Amino acid sequence: MIDLDRATHSLTQFVSERFPVEKLNFHSMVEKKEVPIHSMSWGYYTGGLTMFFFMIQVVTGLFLLFYYQPTVSDANISVEYISLHVAGGALIRNMHAWSSSCMIFFAMVHLLTAFAMKSFVKPREITWIAGVILLFITFTFGFTGYLLPWNQIAVNATKVGLQSVEYVGQYLPGQLSEVPRILRETFQGESSVGQSTLGRFYALHVVILPLLLAALLGLHLLSVQLHGMSQGVDQPAKKFEKFISIFLFKDLTLWATVFLGLFVVAMCVPFDSILPYPLLAPFNALGATPQGIKPEWYFFFVYYPLELLPFWVILVASTVVVGILILTPWIFKGTSRRTLGFIASAAAAYLVIMTVFGEQIYEFFKH
Amino acid sequence: MIDSLLFVALPYLAIFVGVFGSIYRMRTAPMTYSSLSSQFLESKGLMWGSLPWHIGITVILLAHVIAFLAPGFWQSLVSHQAVLQAVESIGLGLSILCLLGLIILGLRRLTSAKLQAVTSVMDLVVILLLLLQVGLGTAIAVHCKWGSAWCSGTTTPYLWSLVTFQPDVSHVSDLPLLVKAHIVGAWLFILVIPFSRLVHMFAVPVEYLFRPPQNVVWTNPRKFSADNQHFVREEARRHFMRAFAGIAFGGFLLSIGTFRNVFSFFFGPRLGREEETELMELRLSRLESTVGQRKLELERQASNYILVGKLAELSPANGKYFIDFKMQPAIAFKGKDELPLLISAKCTHLGCTVGNQVDQQGRILCPCHVSYFDIVSGEPNAEAPAKAPLPHLGWVIMDDGGKVLARRDAGGKTTGAVDPKLRETACVYISKDQEGKA
Repeated sequence: MIDLDRATHSLTQFVSERFPVEKLNFHSMVEKKEVPIHSMSWGYYTGGLTMFFFMIQVVTGLFLLFYYQPTVSDANISVEYISLHVAGGALIRNMHAWSSSCMIFFAMVHLLTAFAMKSFVKPREITWIAGVILLFITFTFGFTGYLLPWNQIAVNATKVGLQSVEYVGQYLPGQLSEVPRILRETFQGESSVGQSTLGRFYALHVVILPLLLAALLGLHLLSVQLHGMSQGVDQPAKKFEKFISIFLFKDLTLWATVFLGLFVVAMCVPFDSILPYPLLAPFNALGATPQGIKPEWYFFFVYYPLELLPFWVILVASTVVVGILILTPWIFKGTSRRTLGFIASAAAAYLVIMTVFGEQIYEFFKH
Repeated sequence: MIDSLLFVALPYLAIFVGVFGSIYRMRTAPMTYSSLSSQFLESKGLMWGSLPWHIGITVILLAHVIAFLAPGFWQSLVSHQAVLQAVESIGLGLSILCLLGLIILGLRRLTSAKLQAVTSVMDLVVILLLLLQVGLGTAIAVHCKWGSAWCSGTTTPYLWSLVTFQPDVSHVSDLPLLVKAHIVGAWLFILVIPFSRLVHMFAVPVEYLFRPPQNVVWTNPRKFSADNQHFVREEARRHFMRAFAGIAFGGFLLSIGTFRNVFSFFFGPRLGREEETELMELRLSRLESTVGQRKLELERQASNYILVGKLAELSPANGKYFIDFKMQPAIAFKGKDELPLLISAKCTHLGCTVGNQVDQQGRILCPCHVSYFDIVSGEPNAEAPAKAPLPHLGWVIMDDGGKVLARRDAGGKTTGAVDPKLRETACVYISKDQEGKA
């Protein structure tokens, strides 16, 4: 028989340590908050930067919402209309595309630096897990947004992505093996990727995911403010700067600079130009899949291994990685920052190599 | 006669008196060679009066001097309409600024009790003269527009004729009364320079621009330290205000620009007739293809046979795409036996649409993850990520009367044959009952 009182007590203790309500006031959350100054201080900017790109996504996304039409006959043409006819439409669309890549990039950097700085230990477990889920939501944003222009590449890529989900079924036992297929058909909405899929992805991309992300981001930010900045390095920092207003102003300065950069890039370099696909060709049910079909760059780190290795290896590996990410606060509780830094660097190296040289590696092993 | 007096005699007299009088005053009473500071008697009115006045008059005088000294250059400048308009409007603006400054300075002299003590009659005369002169100048800017352009044919040659001692009144004798009064005013003004505070204009304090700011204060020790702190605080406040004003103005300009563009985004494009037509045609064609797709779906619900194409149209190397009963893509080839060969085009790996071009080994390629499928056996190549073969589809060949000539079920069993005479007209169909078994 479980001792109910003790269980209740440890639960309340757990919650009150993670959410110290006594700190829920202006003085400790705003006036007192300080940011340590040390060699890893730059890591404290990555989260804010990710959030800034999310804000850009929200604003540019709202702009695009005025013209985009989520139907199979009009989706592609409405995107084309935005790019060609609407004043500033190409710029807004480019910013949305560039900023999505930047958001994913900085979310990954933020995860790695937070890992290396051991910012996940007690009492920050909730912050970490919320952050990991936020990263997955961000990837889902990328996946759902990719389909919306309804071009040949996007539709086929989505087919592949959804079919991969179903593929998992063959490794599951008994009744469970049907679950991935049911999941895929739920998201797909009909026998093939079509109007129902577009409508569902649209709903996910513009309503459900943003709401989810905003809610989780609220939790993430609240716990960051409650617990303050983590120490980040082994030696406690000797110098600190006030969060309000020194750090905030530095943050804003960085955001302004980054915005200028993004604006210029979006103005001069169309996002299509770095991915040499016929992005504007609309989907044609009677057309072949275009040659050289690839997902967006931020899926390369799982896409190329998927091409090279058996499916089950990737399945096992990604399950393990996701498990480790979620359980990080408990698995790496006692690991030194030096070791964590090494693991993070190795992971970063893997990500960079797979993203930049993935294609060459693939060619090397396949031919 | 009166013209000669006002435009020849008066100028020479004024210049003579102005130059020698000033030199004389500088020699005999050097300490008076500046205007008497009244800042510590009254500072607020001084700031709002003196600054606009001096800023305005300096620029305006500079323009007068340039137009006189370099008439060619000036003329080439104002011959551009945009420059002319800019010069005129800036000039008018500055002269209004001068007027306002002068009025404030005048009121200050007349109303402040402290200032009355240090105000001479000559100070009031100077202010009156200046008011008159600037007022005339402003009136000219309004009534006799483009003075900066027409001066090069009138007043500039007149002034040069004076300088070269060949006075020629004819350049100005026909000018409007306003302009004439302005010229006379200018000579009077030069005439009174040595007798008034105006001499300070020869002691232009250029170094003031570069030295740290100074403030005239009472030399009462207690008040001194209090005043000093106040001064420091004021200086910090001024810094802040300047920065704030700059940022606010920049932000204002930026927001105007941004607003304009944001608004035009939401306002939407207004296309020309041709573009609009093109766009509508494109929209219609996309809609039609969607309609086609929907019709296909409906057809698959309702009918038992779906047309793939004419038997004669099929080719052994270049497949024809069609949609099967499950709304999945499939490809029709002509087999070696001259009969149709229908194979699913949905890759057994992850569902991409397989290509329809047969390579030399008789295979079709799925480009997503590079699987080659043999079209006869349906089997993928050994290294392919796809493991299962592409299934074949059954078919039915009917003549144009709807009579079944031959059929093949999904298992590959063929019955019947096609008469070579009917080859041209016979059509290939897929049928629902065969699909069920596939």
